[in-house]
Amino acid sequence: MNAKPPQNRGLTAIDGAMVLIIVLLMVQIWLLSATLETYLAGHREAALPGAIISAILFAACLALYRFVDRLDSQVRRG
Amino acid sequence: MSWFRKPSSTPLWRDEFPVFTADERYVSRRQFTKFLTLTSFSMMVGNLWILARSTLRRPATWPRVPVAAAGEIPVGGVRTFNYPAADDPCILVRTSAEEYVAYSQKCTHLSCAVYYEKAQNRLECPCHRGFFSIEDGSVLEGPPQRALPRVALEKTDGQLVAIRMEGGLV
Amino acid sequence: MFGMEFYVDPSRCIGCQSCLKACEECDTHRGVSMINFDFIDREATIATAAYVCWHCDDPTCAQVCPADAIKKYDDGIVGSSLKPRCIGCSNCVLACPFGIPKLVPQYEQMMKCDMCYDRTSVGKRPMCATVCPSQALAYVTPETIAATRREKPVNTFWFGNQKITTKVYMMAPAGTPEIAIDVADYIWEGDHELVPQAF
Repeated sequence: MNAKPPQNRGLTAIDGAMVLIIVLLMVQIWLLSATLETYLAGHREAALPGAIISAILFAACLALYRFVDRLDSQVRRG
Repeated sequence: MSWFRKPSSTPLWRDEFPVFTADERYVSRRQFTKFLTLTSFSMMVGNLWILARSTLRRPATWPRVPVAAAGEIPVGGVRTFNYPAADDPCILVRTSAEEYVAYSQKCTHLSCAVYYEKAQNRLECPCHRGFFSIEDGSVLEGPPQRALPRVALEKTDGQLVAIRMEGGLV
Repeated sequence: MFGMEFYVDPSRCIGCQSCLKACEECDTHRGVSMINFDFIDREATIATAAYVCWHCDDPTCAQVCPADAIKKYDDGIVGSSLKPRCIGCSNCVLACPFGIPKLVPQYEQMMKCDMCYDRTSVGKRPMCATVCPSQALAYVTPETIAATRREKPVNTFWFGNQKITTKVYMMAPAGTPEIAIDVADYIWEGDHELVPQAF
């Protein structure tokens, strides 16, 4: 009743979201370098799909960040 | 930046410097996740930049730049020149009595100057040991991913003239 | 964590000041005692009371600290000020409803009881509770208190309209679920000869 219990419950979910974001980030890094190489070689047609997929990956990262933020304000005192 | 943050009853400074040590673990995790998201955003911007650059059409006019006289260079010899602009180094190699090839001299890996290695009959980059074929500039070995852009040559009145760049950005 | 809680019963205090001496022995703050020791009304009575920090659930001292120097740990203990951060501003000294934190001028640091964190975190009793002969300061399990005392532990205090809940319990007569403290009770008024000096 007196000491607040350690808020460990949300930490596992947040750690999982972070790992997922890192994986997505690695894919995005590879995508950027591959798109750049293709563009520099003169194949302009690769730029559009590359940009679209990169935007999708970023949207996923943003969604995961908002999830972490929501969890953060839920579990914390306030 | 208020739209980025979830509405909260406590001010931002109280959230970021919590009294309870248990909450500090959340703060560091949330800040790291925010940093990761920003990194993802910057990479997306990079991709969008490539898209923007690719939709710009470069003018289709190529200058005609004389490089050398036909008999000036010995077989197996080399001449460096600039094409299409003064800061674009290129290398011309006479591979046989009748054949000349020219490529951009900037290695497609990290832009070191490639040189012609006569013994191996290939273009070599000394920085990271990348090797290019003398026939078409494709990569034989090493870290480069792209072939060397080729300079199209024309023989007019005994003069070798660079007329066009192929395989590069445009 | 080890099932024991701290109980303060001022009516048992005999004024021996063993708690002060025992607290002083701790090497982390050698010579500076963290016990708040009061002579209730020295002119009229020999009654004394010894208090430790009440380790509030929502510590006011931590809330007002401008340097983020006071932290509350997972097991509920409110630490003394963090040495690299405390700037000696006395905000906590003024803010604490119980008047526990003390600013030590020669270190320019606030120092207060941290429930002998190096001892309690491994299951030992704090120094003061170990030496108190009358067990006015006791660190035992709730079952022991319920079995050996007539008074009941209370950890809810009212200061005017403000409710403070604490980790440390005060022993109060049965039937007193909360303790209301009227600050006016402690203000001298009327014909007391010291009134002109006080205000």
